Amino acid sequence: MKPIFPTAILLAAWPIFAADIPDRPEKLTFPPLTFEPPNPADYRVQLKAGPVAYVVADKTLPLVNVSLLVRTGNYLDPQGREGLAEFTGYLLARGGTASKQAEELEERLAFLAAGLSSSVGDDSGSVNLNLLSKDLPEGLAILREVLTAPRFQSDKLDLYRQQSVQGMKQRNDDSSAIDARERELLAYGTNFWACRFTTQKSVAAITQDDLREFHRKWFVPGNFVVAVNGDFDRAAMVAKLEELFANWPFKGETPPPIPTNTAMAKPGVYMVNKDVNQGRVVIMLPGVKRDDPDFPALQVMNDILGGGGFTSRIMNRVRSDEGLAYGAGSSFPGGIEYARPFQAGFASKSRTVAYAASIVVEELKRISEKPVSDEELNTAKRSFIDTFPENFNTKGKVAAILAREEFTGRFAREPNFWKTWRGKIEAVDQATVQRVARERLHPDQVVVLVVGQKDEILKGHPDHNTPLEKLVNGPLVELPLRDPLTMAPLPLDAGKPPATN
Amino acid sequence: MNRSLLLPWVAVAFTAAAWAQQIPVVEKTLSNGFKLLLVERHDSPSVTGGFVVKVGSANERPGITGIAHLFEHMMFKGTPTLGTKDAQRDLELINEQERLRTGMRAEEAKMRAALRRGLVDDITSPESKTDRYKELEAEFKQRVDEQRALLVKNEFDRVYTTAGASGMNAFTSDDMTGYFINVPANKLELWCWMESERLLRPVFREFYSERDVVFEERRMRVESTPIGKFQEQFNALLWDSHPYHWTPIGWASDIPAITKKQADDFYALYYQPQNITLILVGDFQPAAAEALVTSYFARIPAGNQPPPEVTTQEIPSLGEKRYYAEAETNPQVDIYWKTVPFGHRDGYALDVLQQILSTRTGRLYKGLVLGPQVATESYAQQDSRKWAGTFNIGGEARDGKTPEEVEQAIYAELERIKTEPVPAEELQKVKNQFAAGEYRKLSANFPIFLQVLQNEGLGDWREVNDAGPRLQAVTATEVQRVAQKYFVRENRTVGIYTRKAGLGAKAEDPDFAGLSAEQKPVVRRIIDSLKGESDVAKLKQALEQMQAQAAGGEPKRQQIQKLLAQKVAARIAELEKK
Repeated sequence: MKPIFPTAILLAAWPIFAADIPDRPEKLTFPPLTFEPPNPADYRVQLKAGPVAYVVADKTLPLVNVSLLVRTGNYLDPQGREGLAEFTGYLLARGGTASKQAEELEERLAFLAAGLSSSVGDDSGSVNLNLLSKDLPEGLAILREVLTAPRFQSDKLDLYRQQSVQGMKQRNDDSSAIDARERELLAYGTNFWACRFTTQKSVAAITQDDLREFHRKWFVPGNFVVAVNGDFDRAAMVAKLEELFANWPFKGETPPPIPTNTAMAKPGVYMVNKDVNQGRVVIMLPGVKRDDPDFPALQVMNDILGGGGFTSRIMNRVRSDEGLAYGAGSSFPGGIEYARPFQAGFASKSRTVAYAASIVVEELKRISEKPVSDEELNTAKRSFIDTFPENFNTKGKVAAILAREEFTGRFAREPNFWKTWRGKIEAVDQATVQRVARERLHPDQVVVLVVGQKDEILKGHPDHNTPLEKLVNGPLVELPLRDPLTMAPLPLDAGKPPATN
Repeated sequence: MNRSLLLPWVAVAFTAAAWAQQIPVVEKTLSNGFKLLLVERHDSPSVTGGFVVKVGSANERPGITGIAHLFEHMMFKGTPTLGTKDAQRDLELINEQERLRTGMRAEEAKMRAALRRGLVDDITSPESKTDRYKELEAEFKQRVDEQRALLVKNEFDRVYTTAGASGMNAFTSDDMTGYFINVPANKLELWCWMESERLLRPVFREFYSERDVVFEERRMRVESTPIGKFQEQFNALLWDSHPYHWTPIGWASDIPAITKKQADDFYALYYQPQNITLILVGDFQPAAAEALVTSYFARIPAGNQPPPEVTTQEIPSLGEKRYYAEAETNPQVDIYWKTVPFGHRDGYALDVLQQILSTRTGRLYKGLVLGPQVATESYAQQDSRKWAGTFNIGGEARDGKTPEEVEQAIYAELERIKTEPVPAEELQKVKNQFAAGEYRKLSANFPIFLQVLQNEGLGDWREVNDAGPRLQAVTATEVQRVAQKYFVRENRTVGIYTRKAGLGAKAEDPDFAGLSAEQKPVVRRIIDSLKGESDVAKLKQALEQMQAQAAGGEPKRQQIQKLLAQKVAARIAELEKK
């Protein structure tokens, strides 16, 4: 094999003496590195059997990975049977097939050291098969049977139901679980589908027939996007995929659009009382969808504000300057179907929760009022642009990222999305950063969620006069914990430790 | 990677000899003692680089527990030229801060004395500070503010981020401290500059605010989680004499007492080149990379005294130890047996045993979750650390079952392993899984980097390549032998967790689902009172009355009456069974 000598390394191979080592890293020079993202057309195949597939051959290891994205989701759960989508997703691969008991199927896959899993999440489902390439024919036959003739064995349904209810019982144990749940409720409102929860009653109502019906409705080739990578010849793999999806035994439906009726809570401080010595805080504002024209600028702005880790302002002030938190930062995720909120958060000891929260709100103001520095802007832009190749650093990632583009419909609208992404980031300037901050970050409108020891947190700290009540132009509301099995609100004193005898 | 190396495997599939997938590591040693490990891969135009320092919490002692981890945080604070606009004034301010801190430490000693005498309850509360402490603290804060005006905040991170590096992080375990980052392939020289600079002349500025950050990390990981603080105590019960007795985060009273002087001494002792291995995985040519690394790292002086070895050994287990705790968690059992450290010849059979017991087709899932249904989940893990090891098995009790029942079911499975050889097909299944893992572990730069780093930190990177064939060679007899040797009663420490009563997390009786908020407490009171009633005749009379009432009652009340009737009937059945 001819050794590869990239130019960069050849130059670096010249001996360097200690005296030549500069005192500052800026004095080093680097050869350019060019990188182009993968071209979707090189991998995209419209299968006659229905789905679009992205097929990425890579013979370095004798492994094959087959992934399906499925147009389905928790949003399709019928009222009163919350959990049906999740149960169907889990039990598809775990509940046996027409020809094999679940136990027999599991044993065979385990003997082949193959991984087969399935799941349904909020707005999509997935099925994954990872195996040694020598076992591909057998693996695909199993996959076909799992997809077309799952058994949904009743003992497996009962077991999963039991595990699910027992899992529910931990819903109030960890403050992070309470935080995750209540922040969704505040961000999207109780009427939004993503804020419906499984309950003991809802999962008790799920029958084998429900699973079968849900499966036959949505698990059809027309609802699949496929990603395949690994040790195969492309043409042979395409033929195998055609076979995998041909002559589907049932017809299915196209799922309805994902509802978008979100409603964020009114500005205010919302507290859940929980007896832990570190309070968790999240500060929210209405967000955007990722196809918003300002989305690239918002990413850069957020990176400077709190998204960029140790180069961001919130991390520098809350953690590094003041030692108030281990993690502190913000995110401005773009929603695909509906806007997802801006969130800034941290966890701090009870007595400094209010002070740290006041610093975060101060930073929201500062980035709206004053332009960011050249250095901050440059760091944020480079962090997106120069790490770009990492998005595609394995063949598995290439296949997955392209399939995801197809699945969300962005490929159809913007086939050059990844090709043009770096240019959009490069074009962001200081004025734009300030404008998007001013338009989106309204410090007096924030919705704040605090989970922790209410009394200690409200005491505040003698060195800092930053009462939590004055953080927002809105009320301070105590939220109840919820009954873990019914999700009905519990009395407000439920989070207090029991009286000691 | 050379594809031809793999072809013979495909042809002879499932024969043990051909299993091992070698990670092609090139090993070099620099003149000052640094070891350098290089793995060349051209999958993406990037390099994962980092180093492992052979120091962890096992090298600490009471009083400075947590220092290895705190120190890891300090390694990101910069150098004389990175992180400040005025290196000289920065250093002066650090020294002035230390002088004030010496005074504050004298006050902290008084605060601890007040705690011992019961004059204060909590020395971490702001109200417990002495007046003198507050004065000194105010002065200290002035020096911090002055220093902050000169700081270039987190410049070490900023330089890397601006250069397109990503994923900068570090970790500290009982045995090692690892640092890593991913850089674009054309920035390998920047990596050399940055890492050699911080090893050559680190500046530990912002020491005290970082100490607070570490304490918040402790609150987050240990104190505010449902069972974190219990696990810390359970771990202390598990290890008697060995420094694994404390965990890497350190004791709550030690972290705020660690001094900068102790951190400086720690660095001088453990961060010597001969105690550090540099590792690069990715897109470079090894000879060129070696030349570049040598030119930057060779300038760091060799250490003059080898870091001390951990000589304290764990005392032999003479009796079973048991720990009972009530926590905000589902009932569960967690059992540890002391086994063997990294590289011990029994380790391979124990790894095979772990795989036989765990996974969805493993013995525990079948024996605890599926068959007798005593547990909802179970796990098994052999953990070979550098100086000693453990085998851990546990599970969550299924509703209506106790952790003790899960415990007994675990012992029953172990008895079976001890008395009956594992069938050939089952042994082959887990060997196939290890063999496929040999390929899966080669998927990307970072996982390869991490395996090399961890094995090197535990004792020898070669184990990443040597373990595969040794696992394939394990026999059913050896599995049986190690089970008989280690799974004995006096060698185990058992943790039993039950749910703490009275908190909001208390699960509600599912039969209450349809009742209103007003009805629930009333019904609950009646049901509770049933537990105290043991007169069957009286209960039967009550039941008859209820059934008569229910027949003519309004629909709204029918649910309650039906529910109460059920509960009374259940109580009668319970009493008649006795």
